[in-house]
Amino acid sequence: MGGGYLARRLGQAAITIALIVLVNFLLFRAMPGSPERILLGRIPNITPEVLEAVRVRWGLDKPVFPDQFIAYIAATAQGDLGFSFLARGQTVVEVIGQRLWPTVLLFGIGELIAIVIGLALGAYSGWRRGGLVDYVGNGVALVLYSAPYFLIGMLLLLVFASGLGWFPTFGMVTRGQTGGTLDYLIDVGRHFVLPVTAVSIGLIGQYAILMRSSLLETLSEDYIATARAKGLSGGRILRNHALPNALLPTVTLVAINLGYVVAGAITVEVVFNWPGLGTLTVEALTARDYPVLQGVFLLLSVAVVLANLAADLVYGLLDPRVRT
Amino acid sequence: MTTPAASVELTRSPKRVVATPHLMRRLLSRPDGLIGLAIMVVFAILAILPDVLVGPLQTAVTATGPRLAAPSAAFPLGTDELGRSILNLTVHASRISMVIGLMATVITIAIGAALGIIAGYLGGWVDTIAMRIADFFLVIPTFVLAIILTSLIRDAIGSGTKEMFGIRFGLIAIVVVIGITSWSSTARIIRSQTMSLKERAFVDRARVIGAGGGHIMARHILPNVVNLIVANAVLTFAGAVLTETTLSFVGLGDPFQPSWGQLLDAAREVGAASLGAWWYLLPPGVCIVLVVFAFTLVGNALDALLNPKLQGRR
Repeated sequence: MGGGYLARRLGQAAITIALIVLVNFLLFRAMPGSPERILLGRIPNITPEVLEAVRVRWGLDKPVFPDQFIAYIAATAQGDLGFSFLARGQTVVEVIGQRLWPTVLLFGIGELIAIVIGLALGAYSGWRRGGLVDYVGNGVALVLYSAPYFLIGMLLLLVFASGLGWFPTFGMVTRGQTGGTLDYLIDVGRHFVLPVTAVSIGLIGQYAILMRSSLLETLSEDYIATARAKGLSGGRILRNHALPNALLPTVTLVAINLGYVVAGAITVEVVFNWPGLGTLTVEALTARDYPVLQGVFLLLSVAVVLANLAADLVYGLLDPRVRT
Repeated sequence: MTTPAASVELTRSPKRVVATPHLMRRLLSRPDGLIGLAIMVVFAILAILPDVLVGPLQTAVTATGPRLAAPSAAFPLGTDELGRSILNLTVHASRISMVIGLMATVITIAIGAALGIIAGYLGGWVDTIAMRIADFFLVIPTFVLAIILTSLIRDAIGSGTKEMFGIRFGLIAIVVVIGITSWSSTARIIRSQTMSLKERAFVDRARVIGAGGGHIMARHILPNVVNLIVANAVLTFAGAVLTETTLSFVGLGDPFQPSWGQLLDAAREVGAASLGAWWYLLPPGVCIVLVVFAFTLVGNALDALLNPKLQGRR
């Protein structure tokens, strides 16, 4: 891989992360009420002396720029995102840490299922373009793409949990669950089925549409015509010539879409009371817990930028044409 | 020979590739365009005439039905937890959802088109900075940023009863935030079109006779990207409705001016899904899906008509 390509991608990612930190700093400045009140939380009856001590302690007696800005950057770089209003005495990092893994589990597995099924569906309907599967599949994909994730979740809940009674309606484990590790895992699994289905159904439509158009684009290339002229069988053209090239742009598009889908997918957690970042976001929003909201924004943004960087680098490894 | 009229003739933009009435006819001749437009017309009627169709918006005070009752002759789509008719709520919600979507689209397109044309025409550092900011909004999870911004604006302007175009200020905050966070794809599309247009001869001619940058952008570039802007606005509207729905669903809606997302949030709060109250979920849910579906269909169809490269592929 060329050094220039690597350096340029790293530079772009660094600029984006710098912008994210800058936006976060500006949001902190824009918060209603003075920042020292925000830092203290909602404690009534604060003497001016205490307020002044807090101002000095947090450097708020110094000018916004450059002193406060540099201090903010330094704190953020060290992973210090302040304290939660809602969970008194806990840092934002602790609060987010407790809710991170349920989301990683839900979103990670949902994304994987959606990529496999969505890309396969898209490739098939693109290959059999104009066929029955293509016609129906395209319509279904567009309808799924039009439905908000939480709506899909609510309908699943309606049919499979309250209607048929196959799955529990909320949470990640049954309260007061006793029993061995195996029982625990089965219990979590039963709670997991509907949310992960909602996330993957929401994503499958988009990925199928992306893959289909990418495959159609590839099939119109000259080298496919060459392969046909050589008398290769349809299956070989698809497997060896069309699919590998059609998958490439899809990888990037999936990565670019991450920021969009992460946000939508976290609303699924709200529907199922899944104890992840999505429910945390809504709890923090209701309580106006701005430090936690900003922490979630920072974490998700940086994660998405890094995922994009990874996708770019993988793309660069796989496709020599972009390494210029 | 060189009368002023002649020089004007020389610098006039070439005929648009696709004139608008012509475009509409071609759109109607495609099945996807026809279906999409038909759904759009139905919802436009619902949004314009809610009072005529189902009477004034029911409130907790004017509600007449039993609580959370299944559909019956008196209440064709059942009732909510306050005894209000779901049919009444859903029809009134179409006005709220679609007006918010429309206003957000106007702001998004205005920012996106202006920045796209300016960045594409001027190039250089203006272009670099504008596109870096566009990339920033394209990549980051704008939804989380939108949540923070909306509640910050709400806290700053307070919860008054002031209105704009019949929409209360608390909801106007959502409109502004959607506009701020979703202009980047429009800007990118308009920018690349502008970059190819500015190399064309008619722009050169205008420059040679001394037209300034502002004049060229407004009189020569803009008219030639209008079709692109329209196609993009249709898709932007679909996205804006989805974003508004999701923001309302996480609690940023206004119970006094319910949108479809706000109705679904209320349904979740009373546990409609767990109680099996399908009539509370389906009407607003189906409306959202239909509207987003219709605008996506028409947007894609317009894209295909305006972009000859895509023809025969979809």
